[in-house]
Amino acid sequence: MIDKAAVKEFAQSQEMLVVGKSVGRVDSLDKVLGKPIYTMDIVPENALYLKVVRSNVAHALLKRVDLSEARKYPGVVAVVTAQDIPGINESTALLPDKPLFATDRVRFAGEPIAAIASYDPSIAEEAVDLVKIEYDPLPSVFSPIDALKPNAPKIHEKGNVAKHLKVRKGNVEEGFKQADLIVEGTYKTPFQEPVPLEPEAGFVVPEPDGSVTCVASIQSPYHVQTGIAKILSLRPEQVRVIQATTGGAFGPKSDEIPVDVLGMAALVAVRTRKPAALAYTREESMIGHTKRHPFVISVKVGVKKSGKLTAWETKLFADTGAYASLGPLVVIRACFHATGPYVIPNVKTDAYCVYTNNTMAGSFRGFGGPQAHFAAESHMDAIAKKLDIDPLDLRLMNILRPGTLTATSQIVDEGCGLEECITKATTESDWYKKRRQFQSMNGTKKRGLGIAIMYHGNSLGPEGNDFATVHMQIDSECKIRLRTALTEYGTGAPSGLLQIAAETMHLPIDYFTLDPSDTEYCTDSGPTVASRTITIGGRATQMVAGKLDQRLREIAAEMLECPADEVESSEGTFHSKSAKSVSFRDVVAHAYSRGISLKESSTFTAPKCEYDPETSQGTVYLQYTYGAVTAEVEVDTETGRVQVLKMVAAYDVGKAINPISLEGQIEGGTIQGLGYALMEEMIHKNGVVVNPNLGDYYVPTSLDIPEIKTIIVEYPGRLGPFGAKAIGEPPVVLPAPAIVNAIDNAIGVRITEIPATPDRLLINLRRTQEVQEKG
Amino acid sequence: MRRFDMFVPENLVDLLQYLDSHQTGVHLIANGTDLINRIQRKQVTPKVLVDLTGLAEFRYVKREGGMIKIGALTTISELIASPVIESRYDVFREVAMKFGGPSIVNMATIGGNICSASSSEDLLPVLLVLDAEVHVRSIHGERTIRVEDFVKGKRVTDLKPNELLVETSFGELEPHSTCSFEKVGMRNSLIIAFVNCAVYLKLAENKLCDEVRIAFNRVNGKIPQRARQTEKIMKGKKLNDQSLSDAVATLRDELKLTSDFRASEEYRLEVACAIFKRAVGRCADRLTGEKILV
Amino acid sequence: MSKHLLKFSVNGKDYAVVVQSHERLLDVLRDKLGLKGTKEGCSTGDCGICGVLMDGKIVNSCLIFAIQARNKKIVTIEGIGSAEKPHPIQRAFMKWNASQCGYCIPAMILATKELLERNSDPTIEDIKRATGGIICRCTGYLKIFEAVKTAASEMRGQDN
Repeated sequence: MIDKAAVKEFAQSQEMLVVGKSVGRVDSLDKVLGKPIYTMDIVPENALYLKVVRSNVAHALLKRVDLSEARKYPGVVAVVTAQDIPGINESTALLPDKPLFATDRVRFAGEPIAAIASYDPSIAEEAVDLVKIEYDPLPSVFSPIDALKPNAPKIHEKGNVAKHLKVRKGNVEEGFKQADLIVEGTYKTPFQEPVPLEPEAGFVVPEPDGSVTCVASIQSPYHVQTGIAKILSLRPEQVRVIQATTGGAFGPKSDEIPVDVLGMAALVAVRTRKPAALAYTREESMIGHTKRHPFVISVKVGVKKSGKLTAWETKLFADTGAYASLGPLVVIRACFHATGPYVIPNVKTDAYCVYTNNTMAGSFRGFGGPQAHFAAESHMDAIAKKLDIDPLDLRLMNILRPGTLTATSQIVDEGCGLEECITKATTESDWYKKRRQFQSMNGTKKRGLGIAIMYHGNSLGPEGNDFATVHMQIDSECKIRLRTALTEYGTGAPSGLLQIAAETMHLPIDYFTLDPSDTEYCTDSGPTVASRTITIGGRATQMVAGKLDQRLREIAAEMLECPADEVESSEGTFHSKSAKSVSFRDVVAHAYSRGISLKESSTFTAPKCEYDPETSQGTVYLQYTYGAVTAEVEVDTETGRVQVLKMVAAYDVGKAINPISLEGQIEGGTIQGLGYALMEEMIHKNGVVVNPNLGDYYVPTSLDIPEIKTIIVEYPGRLGPFGAKAIGEPPVVLPAPAIVNAIDNAIGVRITEIPATPDRLLINLRRTQEVQEKG
Repeated sequence: MRRFDMFVPENLVDLLQYLDSHQTGVHLIANGTDLINRIQRKQVTPKVLVDLTGLAEFRYVKREGGMIKIGALTTISELIASPVIESRYDVFREVAMKFGGPSIVNMATIGGNICSASSSEDLLPVLLVLDAEVHVRSIHGERTIRVEDFVKGKRVTDLKPNELLVETSFGELEPHSTCSFEKVGMRNSLIIAFVNCAVYLKLAENKLCDEVRIAFNRVNGKIPQRARQTEKIMKGKKLNDQSLSDAVATLRDELKLTSDFRASEEYRLEVACAIFKRAVGRCADRLTGEKILV
Repeated sequence: MSKHLLKFSVNGKDYAVVVQSHERLLDVLRDKLGLKGTKEGCSTGDCGICGVLMDGKIVNSCLIFAIQARNKKIVTIEGIGSAEKPHPIQRAFMKWNASQCGYCIPAMILATKELLERNSDPTIEDIKRATGGIICRCTGYLKIFEAVKTAASEMRGQDN
């Protein structure tokens, strides 16, 4: 539950109407009633359905693709390939490295080659079986380390490195000389599959004027608009993109995947002049969309006997699969966070985003943070063990505090609640006492308590231009409609924007509603990622709500015959100094009768981040979220199974806009992190995914859930509205290192590769026991 | 899903006649928990399915002539709700607790489970230690065959194309005997087993093992089987930590397991031994009311 | 044998629909009856998102062929509550913000209904078991557990 004391303290210092309150979400009623609001619920009656022909080998030349039987199959209406693309055969996120349809070559098992459309999806599926493909296999490579070897097969013309990024601070060689001890370690993380419960889906309607309307399950309408326009050779304004209610996203629906889906559907739609729909099957979704990058991270740290860190050197290798997607940006974030939230005078980080012939890796909640912190926080515990210092004490000795410098020499400002997060989390989990108790446990079930801490640079930082536009208008029925291209897909963040608007205008929250994200009336606000909605979108909301509020006061002033600055507003009524008043409804009616516009827009652009491109020294993010998570586990030493009993998750969120929504985000992210720690792994064999279904890819079920205590700490940041910080992504970052550290505390085994499956754990434990017996 | 035809028989005779005259390309379907999964994963491409859900006469659990008899179309949840499956047969509840989730338990049929004969099968090890039999009918007659002989390989049974499995039965548990089931997978629900284990234990006085039957989802090969060598070692010995330890040593040799993407051979062996001990321990606890094993 | 006449009842209403052999109960509910509340999450029966009540018991509608639902009584999310008068379970889910992306919610609500009909005072363990076959990726389940507890308490109060 929420640390009510901290919230109360803040709330009392600033009396707030609705921000900081746990109000209901606008979309809840439709969802509990099962209303038809998701993409495949609203496909037009006469639509065609697509099925995709995909490669089943990882790397090969396409010698021959014979679609003749498929074309002739009764009921097949259209078959599309790269030949049918009027514009450019491209569907990308960042680098121009990926086609919509493969032409002469495939680079991963599952790459789209063609699509078949029929009014009956079963017929399209049967026709896919009739496609005959001849492959000329090419040598392939399936790990970033192999891909970097001198004779490795080249997956793209420019070589296998999509991005190399560096951090250079001080001089690590000097730092190692000053150290009393040097500790090295290598850490590995898997492909984690996002599993949005609604697989990718979209449909395209061809309009009579030659334009198209796209409706889809997406995060970023404008990215889709640009992508589809390029494929169809249309102007962007001729491509309307509407986000339907989206059943979970977590990353893959923000980049090129919706362009894949809608691009294929659009080709069929414009050719046949009929609506065309494509819904990925779960298997297709798991193979075809982007996942979390596997990383191999080697760490070398110099430390004094006292525990003070002197030097931290990291090499990170990310497997981005056959196409880069947003891999370069993921690697940037991992690179900048590689040392964890500590003060280290000498830092050397090299991060590589590497192509392989595995399936694609790209955006997934956390975006490099989970991998970087898994390595850093596991390594801190390894250091603590070697120095025989309590892991908590070691951390407190080295954490970032206001006035200290990060790994990129950015000064930590007063909005840093890291220490309080750590103190509160460890107090709540009874850190010292429990760890002592657990040492003396007998039996086959052993308990342990572990900790991990983090920082998370907010918003896009170095990843791109950070701006958002929010529109507001009051309709003739007095509903204040908020419109933005920042999308809702479960986060609740857009509902938070309504709270911010209500707070700014001093009006009840139920006056406000959220319209669908539609390029027809919402301006580009960049992708809905990086937890930007509340931070960047929130600032834009404050601005536009302020403008609309001013407009209403001016109209009220005219009606009350007093100067605008003498108008007071509260609870939907506008008063002048002389007891006269007009209601909100009166003001709106007056505006309509006089043709006065009740429509406003505001764009907030975050200041640019300035830093040295060679050394990455400078301001890389505008503010940071901080967190500390503890995990209490019970390890069954006979089966290797781990039960997480309790987790305490403390986050400095700046300002909690909606506490219950915030808890929901934290709890959900924590469980995704728990899955990452213990059971989630997309397994490739020669590039082919062997577990592309939810029976063999394990996400946590309700019976796997620990007790979770959420602690909100508020140290307002400088960027977000009311000091709010990003909280969408951070919760998924720390569970893995916290759990792995707890396992080490329980059984004295350091798991350096996640997931810590029962197999890995038990075998590691047996090896450790064998070594101990021999020694 | 690709298209196919479905034959929906009104009664058993129609069904058996159909099976007799259509012996290829035909798949039987009860509640689809296994078959539809396989169709969607393109492991099976049926031309005709035969729907069994209309044959209500095969949904029963009864006690007759010293035997427990279960109709093949009985679902797992119907089985454990039956008063015939009282506390002596709690082993079935142990299976149900770890058997998918509530909807799977409501849908999966006993017959469907036996005939799917997959190596992550939970019910088969229990039926093996109960020395169960299956009854099979065709238009030409009936036969009875032991479950152990019925399951011949991974997803291969002795069911002929014109036959329907109609019932499974086993002798009632004798006094001083009980069964237990253990399963380990990656998580706590919707679990595919790395290893599962069923144990039948009958203790005489002085905690002597009168009889013990042990089955795993894999012993030597890819099907559920009995671990007969380990059974032999335990028979007639007093059950204590030492004899159990000897049994585990035999089990280690007897089990010939394999690695796949879900788990390694080494891990499976470790866990098989661990859950074997737990299953025996639980049986012993139940029978003696005391903890005789650590 | 490729088409059948399916007679069954859905949310208290009787239907007679022509269905194809390969159509699943899920497909008939969504495409023939227009009841879009039941979702498809995985098509292999591994996620529980397609859950409906069949003769009072929760089942995966993606694992049942339409014709196999003949003579059965089906309840989908559309049969629970309404915008004007939401069911206590729906009100509890809204109160706790237990719905994030919403995709698992219809199945969760139906599983809750089945649970509370046979056990009006479930423990947290009972609640976990009843929802154990439905995957949620957004919420971490905890708010769903709270919603079920609240619904149970309110429904017990109504009976008194």
